[in-house]
Amino acid sequence: MTVRTTLAPAAGMGWATQVTLFIAVLFLVCAWAIDLTPAALANLPRQMATVLSFFYPADLNYGATRVWPALLESIQIAWMGTIIAAMLSLPLALLGARTLFPRIARLVKLISATARAFPEILLAIYFVPIVGLGAFAGALAIGISSVGMLTKLGSEVVESIDMGPVEAVQAAGGSRLLALRYAVVPQVLPEIVAHWLFRFELNIRASAVLGVVGAGGVGGVLLNTLRYRHFEKAAAVLLLTILVVLIIDMVSGAIRRRLLR
Amino acid sequence: MNEASRAAPGRPLRPARNWTLIIAAVGAVSLMTWWSARGIGFSLVELACNLPGGRRLLVESWPPDWSFFPRLLGPLLETLQIAVVGTVIGGILAIPIAVLAARNLTPGFLVWFVDRNFMNILRTLPDLFWAMLFAAAVGFGPIAGALALTVFTIAVISKLWSESLEAIDMAVPEAVRAAGGSWLAMLQFGAIPQALPHYVSYALYAFELNVRASMILGLVGAGGIGMVLETQRSTFEYPRVTLIVLSVLVLVLIIEKISESIRRRLV
Repeated sequence: MTVRTTLAPAAGMGWATQVTLFIAVLFLVCAWAIDLTPAALANLPRQMATVLSFFYPADLNYGATRVWPALLESIQIAWMGTIIAAMLSLPLALLGARTLFPRIARLVKLISATARAFPEILLAIYFVPIVGLGAFAGALAIGISSVGMLTKLGSEVVESIDMGPVEAVQAAGGSRLLALRYAVVPQVLPEIVAHWLFRFELNIRASAVLGVVGAGGVGGVLLNTLRYRHFEKAAAVLLLTILVVLIIDMVSGAIRRRLLR
Repeated sequence: MNEASRAAPGRPLRPARNWTLIIAAVGAVSLMTWWSARGIGFSLVELACNLPGGRRLLVESWPPDWSFFPRLLGPLLETLQIAVVGTVIGGILAIPIAVLAARNLTPGFLVWFVDRNFMNILRTLPDLFWAMLFAAAVGFGPIAGALALTVFTIAVISKLWSESLEAIDMAVPEAVRAAGGSWLAMLQFGAIPQALPHYVSYALYAFELNVRASMILGLVGAGGIGMVLETQRSTFEYPRVTLIVLSVLVLVLIIEKISESIRRRLV
């Protein structure tokens, strides 16, 4: 046995231990409530292995004829959604900046917080009956639900700028609008565009699932293939989705890094 | 141009612009937008024509059908249970994955490389895709939802926490190694304690995301309130849909507020 020469942290039931115990008990209760028994857990690997073996080989022919167009549609939905959100959020981001419009900013922040609470798929549930089944409803849902986050991030960027140029424009007799145009927008635009691109990456994933409620894209295809247990076709959907998302993440990430340099 | 030549002495130079880059960027964005708008049949005219219909839908969905509320309590509780189970299992599994993906702690390049790419692939698929996959594998119900959220939690926590681990002060772990400690001892006494507050914060953040996600998992049959939502939606019971959406929002906001206040104290 070694001799302790430094002070050990206080022994006994610290609050960390109590929290851990609480979480452990909560977890057991919840697991029991949803029937996740040890037996079911032990059975899982075998079950998963069986189903996964059905996924091979992927039906690449189906991938080319049905999945690829649906994936392109998902990209289009995400892009249009991001464009809608960018258009709406740019003025809101300026209005939401505490440093420029102290009074309106509070209201704008409240609105953007509410908009952020809505998952896009819940919005799509309302847009589908309005504009009909399909990609248009998806783009609107993605657009509206992205506005909240983009407004919040955008106004944080605006609040962090150097106010010197703004004061300079106003001191030279420029109006507030001119100050926005010549002192604020040039400072914030690269960072805001980077946020748009980041949101586009998120929206690709969001638009991929919208098909579940009939709002277009690749999600509906996956749901159908799995429903009819066509696992080789589902494998094609998964492979192509992973590939496309990885490529878009890489391209968009590279552009973002360049913008923020 | 003219203005530039008349520039008074001392006037700052106009920053040079890279016109080729600007034109290329604007061109690419316009092309992409045109392609997308055509592809999805985007039209403001159609939107304007459909607005009266939309108003009718909104009028029909209000007021929410409050009498339906008692039947939501069970599914709402199940939703939270799914979120808890997914967060706890995923949170535990995320620890080794994050450690192996941290460049300064990983035992070898190959392990790091495989783990990093595994993490990136996990993150490409949206939560509902995992839910569909697990529903197909283990059958419809809350277990499929909990498994989907497990994967989703691993993806969120391991990515964020491996970055915190990379940012720790390496002096302490190196001291543990120098004193003859094993790799595990180095992790336990040198590395993890430094990043523990971040871990708790990310776990809470993942829990927030999971509560939000667990609300919609039921749309693909993975348990919780989403399954009620799906049946009411497909029969166009919009007053009930509104009630479900409202209760989901309130629950999500409450959980978020609690979790945010804990997180602010941590980091």
